[in-house]
Amino acid sequence: MMGYSFNHFDPMDLMVETFTLENYVKFFSDEYYRKVFISTLGVAALCTVFALVLGFPVAYFLAKTQSRYKSLFIVLLVFPLMVGNVVRAAGWMVILGNVGVVNATLMWLGITDEPIKFMYTPFAVIVGTTAVVMPYMILTLQSVLEGIDFSVEEAAQNLGATFATTFRRVVLPIAAPGVAAGTMLVFILCMNAYATPVLLGGTGLTMMAPSLYDQIAKASNWPFGAAMALVLIVTTLLLATLSNWLIHRNYVKTMGA
Amino acid sequence: MSKVSINKLKKQFGDAVALEDFSLEIADGELVAFLGPSGCGKTTTLRMIAGFIEPTAGSIHIGETDVTNLPVHKRNTGMVFQRYALFPHMTVAQNVSFGLEMHNVSGKERDSRIATALDMVRMTSFRDRYPRQLSGGQQQRVAIARALAIQPKVFLLDEPLSNLDAKLRVEVREEIRSLQQNLGLTTVFVTHDQEEALAISDRMAIMYNGRVQQIGSPKELYDSPSNHFVADFLGRMSFFKGNLVANGRFVSEAGTNIQVASGQKVGRIGIRPERINVGAHPESDNVFDGWVESAAYLGSLIDIRLRLQGGDILNLHVPNNASSANTAIAPGSPLVASFRSSDCVLFAE
Ligand SMILES: Nc1ncnc2c1ncn2[C@@H]1O[C@H](COP(=O)(O)OP(=O)(O)O)[C@@H](O)[C@H]1O
Ligand SMILES: [Mg+2]
Repeated sequence: MMGYSFNHFDPMDLMVETFTLENYVKFFSDEYYRKVFISTLGVAALCTVFALVLGFPVAYFLAKTQSRYKSLFIVLLVFPLMVGNVVRAAGWMVILGNVGVVNATLMWLGITDEPIKFMYTPFAVIVGTTAVVMPYMILTLQSVLEGIDFSVEEAAQNLGATFATTFRRVVLPIAAPGVAAGTMLVFILCMNAYATPVLLGGTGLTMMAPSLYDQIAKASNWPFGAAMALVLIVTTLLLATLSNWLIHRNYVKTMGA
Repeated sequence: MSKVSINKLKKQFGDAVALEDFSLEIADGELVAFLGPSGCGKTTTLRMIAGFIEPTAGSIHIGETDVTNLPVHKRNTGMVFQRYALFPHMTVAQNVSFGLEMHNVSGKERDSRIATALDMVRMTSFRDRYPRQLSGGQQQRVAIARALAIQPKVFLLDEPLSNLDAKLRVEVREEIRSLQQNLGLTTVFVTHDQEEALAISDRMAIMYNGRVQQIGSPKELYDSPSNHFVADFLGRMSFFKGNLVANGRFVSEAGTNIQVASGQKVGRIGIRPERINVGAHPESDNVFDGWVESAAYLGSLIDIRLRLQGGDILNLHVPNNASSANTAIAPGSPLVASFRSSDCVLFAE
């Protein structure tokens, strides 16, 4: 595939074997693809932040709870992972569509007169993708938080720290490497999301994975599709390596290998 | 430092009662050990004093202040945990500094208090190390320094030595005791190790099944246990169930006649193994013939189970000293044992 990306695309012969950077030049110089690339990064970042902010309290609760319903919570959390993304996207359509649950409620409450367009907007993609990655985020964070000796938090409180201070000065720094790893995993999942952006974003928002799929499957432009795929993969790998390096640099010396 | 008053403390987890009717006054500067088998409610009580567990009933005062409903971070107790609980992302000095920062101690005063605390536990040269670079004993010393740096009103330790090996355990125990005495710390020390409790405490509270069995000095508890549980839990004791047939004369169920001090209602008597002599000692008014059932060589002493006529078992300790070293004590051999009536402990049941 890497090889394909250096080939030339001809509308008649499709792929002509050669060595050219024209696909990469096209990708980074064409306003449209630059926008696809940037919005993919943006959407992925937003979804990751939302998943982190919403998932952390849930993970913290799961890690600390003594409730006998804990395993039930976890099963409920894992359950969506077994339902395909397409099915879940269909669910969001029912909720977010023009005659969907949200709009019906808003109109019934008189907050709005006309349905608000949620579907095929970046909003729908962000909501849908955040929901897809949320269980991964929560489960990763939970295992990280469960690894922290709870008596360390108690020691902080005993020394006069409030819950908030304990969280900021003790829990977060200790959990940071694990949180960063979980966050990176989720970011990568978001970057490479396919079904959710296609079904919920439609033409309103194009992301990398759907766009490169179109190049290969619809336009039969394999070289350009391959180049896009490679850009996506390299970006993902670079970010993963960078974060890994940051984690190690900051924490290995204190937390042990 | 302050005195601590615990009044009718109770804790229930669901239907299970973990602690009941616990009342105790700890004097300013006193060290009280909570001793008892696992699950008897020691940790629960300690954690209620620190504020980690809310009592079901009863009250706790530190000094004159009722702290029963005060949150943990406002109680100003210094706690040392079983597994050290040091902050792994902070150096030794930063660990000690944390509590001072929480108490708004800053600048020169903070530096000097960190230095004093570390010096106290001989950890000054390790101030820039991280916890994982320290041994267990060193980590526990840092935890002690961290707890004491904030000058707590009460010093609380939950089995602080149980993760250390035997030699270190004694060493750190002695350090804790001397710190406690020099600084006049009001201290609660939780342990399931009776030797530890006996060695370190001014008074100890023996607990069983969520209830205090007896509170007193180590000597009081060992020499005059108030019930069968305390006597059996603390050290060793041979017990005989039976009845007083006349004042000062006890007959066991197996028919052994034993002279005892006079008592009211007696259902059981006990005698410590080290109070029993081999041979008919002139001061002993109880003399028995028996057969050695087993003899365990324990180094400084020989632990003997002696079967008396009638079947009662007497447990005695023969010191491994110059006079006894050459006596052959083998299972099956006859042996005369004697003890004083005043050394018998009487129990109502
Ligand atoms: N959080 C809890 N929930 C339910 N039961 C508990 C809890 N903590 C302690 N217990 C019970 O209370 C009793 C006393 O426990 P604990 O104070 O930890 O004993 P100790 O420290 O003396 O070994 C035990 O039976 C224990 O199972
Ligand atoms: Mg305990």
